Amino acid sequence: MNALRQTWRVACYEWFDALRSRRALVVLLLYLAAAVCNMYWSINLLHKLETELASALQLPASEQAGVVSTALWKSKPFQRMMTKMTQNDLVLRDITGKHPVELIYAWFAFFYTPLLVVLVAGNRIAEEIGSGSVRYVIFRTSRASWSLGKFVGQTLMIGLALMLSGASAYAVAKFRLAGSGTPDLFLNMVQWSLRAWIYSIPYLGLAMGLSHLTRSPSKATVMGILAITLCFALSILIRHFTLDTGWRAFLPHLGQLLPDGHKMLLWRNAAAPLVAGSATLVTLGFCYLLTGYAFFRNRDV
Amino acid sequence: MENAIETVSLVKRYGARRALDGLSLAVPRYAVLGLVGPNGAGKTTWMMSVAGLLHLHGGTVNLLGGGPFDPAVHSGRVTLLPQDSELPLESRPVDLLTHYGLLQGLTRREAERSAASMLQEVHLGDRLAATVRSLSHGMRKRVMIAQCFIGFPELVLLDEPLSGLDPRETAHMRAFLTRRRGRQTLVISSHNLHDIEVMCDRVAFIEKGRTVRNATLDEIIGASNMLLYRVTAAPADLAPLSAAVPDATLAYDAVNGLLCCRYDPRRDTPEQINARVLPPLLAQCGVIDVSRGDSLEAAYLRTAGDMQKI
Repeated sequence: MNALRQTWRVACYEWFDALRSRRALVVLLLYLAAAVCNMYWSINLLHKLETELASALQLPASEQAGVVSTALWKSKPFQRMMTKMTQNDLVLRDITGKHPVELIYAWFAFFYTPLLVVLVAGNRIAEEIGSGSVRYVIFRTSRASWSLGKFVGQTLMIGLALMLSGASAYAVAKFRLAGSGTPDLFLNMVQWSLRAWIYSIPYLGLAMGLSHLTRSPSKATVMGILAITLCFALSILIRHFTLDTGWRAFLPHLGQLLPDGHKMLLWRNAAAPLVAGSATLVTLGFCYLLTGYAFFRNRDV
Repeated sequence: MENAIETVSLVKRYGARRALDGLSLAVPRYAVLGLVGPNGAGKTTWMMSVAGLLHLHGGTVNLLGGGPFDPAVHSGRVTLLPQDSELPLESRPVDLLTHYGLLQGLTRREAERSAASMLQEVHLGDRLAATVRSLSHGMRKRVMIAQCFIGFPELVLLDEPLSGLDPRETAHMRAFLTRRRGRQTLVISSHNLHDIEVMCDRVAFIEKGRTVRNATLDEIIGASNMLLYRVTAAPADLAPLSAAVPDATLAYDAVNGLLCCRYDPRRDTPEQINARVLPPLLAQCGVIDVSRGDSLEAAYLRTAGDMQKI
């Protein structure tokens, strides 16, 4: 119980200190800028496509984007394209009912979050080990509480950043895209932020786990970037090279150890796959962190 | 007397080099112990090992009767000022110290009060809201010292606490640490032997990963059994002096111009020795100064076998 309280204290201080200092500002700005730019450019692209389509059909062009999108979204060729992209009929069935803005944001959040997580949080542990500031803490609390507290603190930080990025993306869409200012859409954007947050946890665990292995913050960041690149590369390999026989038959099992192996569960509407996917991704995050912690536990600081 | 720290046969290796080579050291409760030794002797390694920051290759540690360092047992009871360790640069001292207090088990109110009062104590009351990054080196050092005393821990390990402080702050911190004597157990590692002499009541000499000597300051400098006379010229004849104090041993150190008189404190008091030695000595030369015992530096150099090399 005491260990949990200590962990929570470390997490709260990590969060509080990040919010007070410039560090949090950098994270929040990174997320906000990326979300706003992504939404703005996507809507512009959509508007351009719609204008060209209207011109080709010799129809009057709309002032706002999104007028033709709903029809386009439900068209067969578009759905075929989505089937190719998702490679999962269940996911496709779930997402075809979504507003395009949600999907633009979800795509952004799921694609960029791992990289942003690594850039922002990947060196937190190494930084404190390298500067020696960890030495002021770990005679006051256990190494486990400190590591876990840092992880929880960063998780909360990423969660806040994703929520704000979701809200700002909604704000951009509301003013730039026709019919996208509904409260339902806002709630759905919050939901996608939550899903992206869950998806960020294993990457955070991976980056922070690796951060235990070195005293150099820059080395930790490089290791984190290499690790997520490897994860993506393996996911692609698994997706395209899996066979039913030989060593390639084991590739899907390897995929279960990677965050991408469970990503699509977070795109589902039903509670069961969503809960299972979330639980697995959170567990993976803790396992990655624990692997790094196992090294840190026995090292001199 | 019960010991605050008992370390027996500690071994710590870095590759082939043994930083601690069977070091045994006991620190009595409420003592202020000074750790003295050359660079690389193992002082910092010993402190870090005691505080659980380093993993030992051998030996046993017993802290405050609770076995080796365990945060669950010793958090809030043992604190450390590590050497060459930065505080988080973007944090504010008051927040940092409050956080440390909370981790030590203080309530928020106690932690905030303790943090504010400790920062006042180290003359940083006007910099509560500044970030560590904006503080000078000396100010950061004072925050580091302050963090050691949050929540009044039973045992405080200080590695070079006064290095980097200006003369006024050095004197203030020296007085601050001296006031702790008899209330908390302090272990202070320093190369400044004058500081050790002023602050500590016990001294341990560490050499090549081993304890060479561990005794009270009085024993080490001979304050209770030795008088030193700084003279203007070498006494021509020691015989009349020896006759005046037949139970004492007299020796003249020509290099430092000191006449050393070792006596048995059970038989004579320093006043009695002075009364008998000074008249025949003044008949031969001038006496500039009389002191009880040697300086710690001289005692250390003598113990280290370096006296002849000066």
